[in-house]
Amino acid sequence: MSGEDEKLSLPGVVKRLIKRVRAFFQRTRMYLRITQMSPIARRYFIKNGFDGSMTLLGIIVGSWIVGVTKPEIIVTAGLGACLAMGLSGIFGAYMTERAERMRHLKTLEDTMLSDLSGSVLSDASDFVSLYAAFVDGASPILTAVIAIIPFILTLTGTFAIWDAYIVSLALTLATLFSLGLYLGRIAKENMLLYGAITLAAGVITITVALILGAI
Amino acid sequence: MIKRLVLDVLKPHNPSVVELSEALSHLEGIDGVNVIIYEIDQQVENVKIIIAGTSIDFENIKKRLKEMGATIHSVDEVAAGNRIVEEVGTPQDKSARM
Repeated sequence: MSGEDEKLSLPGVVKRLIKRVRAFFQRTRMYLRITQMSPIARRYFIKNGFDGSMTLLGIIVGSWIVGVTKPEIIVTAGLGACLAMGLSGIFGAYMTERAERMRHLKTLEDTMLSDLSGSVLSDASDFVSLYAAFVDGASPILTAVIAIIPFILTLTGTFAIWDAYIVSLALTLATLFSLGLYLGRIAKENMLLYGAITLAAGVITITVALILGAI
Repeated sequence: MIKRLVLDVLKPHNPSVVELSEALSHLEGIDGVNVIIYEIDQQVENVKIIIAGTSIDFENIKKRLKEMGATIHSVDEVAAGNRIVEEVGTPQDKSARM
């Protein structure tokens, strides 16, 4: 097989694709290392994931208190909240991160007395702004969708609405607990303690909402 | 054919010297790279880069350094030709120091 034939053959195409994907991940890792973005992205993920869970917890408990029996109302409200939080995360994080990165790049250019456009630093700044936007937008959507799943299943007839409330609350509290465990792992401290704290935030929200509902 | 090149380079802290040396060592015609930090500032650091190879393309080196956000302050030594000629001491060096 000649070199040209090998390029066009399926194994050749797959090989080149794998090479490109590997190069992309290597570059991504380098960008994250250069900009020291990983801890910042972790913060974005936890903070907005927590926001997503708590927002949906509020919607679900509120719906329970007023006795919403139509799952489509909760699904629509939940998806609306997902969309708003996702877009807010994407635009907010992109603009904030980009402004900070541009400022850093310009300071560096002043120090070095050279133009850094076209350098790996400039590329990394552009990339991590998008990366931050993705993490910031996706994390609340992910955690919020977890809470909506039982109501989507109710729409398909899998769950009764009141069962969906219970399952959804359990899933949301489990998500909050998991975020706490992850935080504990990051802090290299007692993971269960961190999990208990984030779980307590959810329990407090439910309790306060129920008390207000009773009044 | 350049076989050895010694450069005085100013670079940001990131990409690190590890990434910089790896990036340079992957260039064609280069056998080895040595990067030594000799001054660290708040945002930047000065490094001495020694590059050895069979056929070093200086333009490629400049391009790769620019890509990595670094700038060449000075070219301190170049060894070219079939054989690397080392620096030798001469009486003039001694008189110049006096």
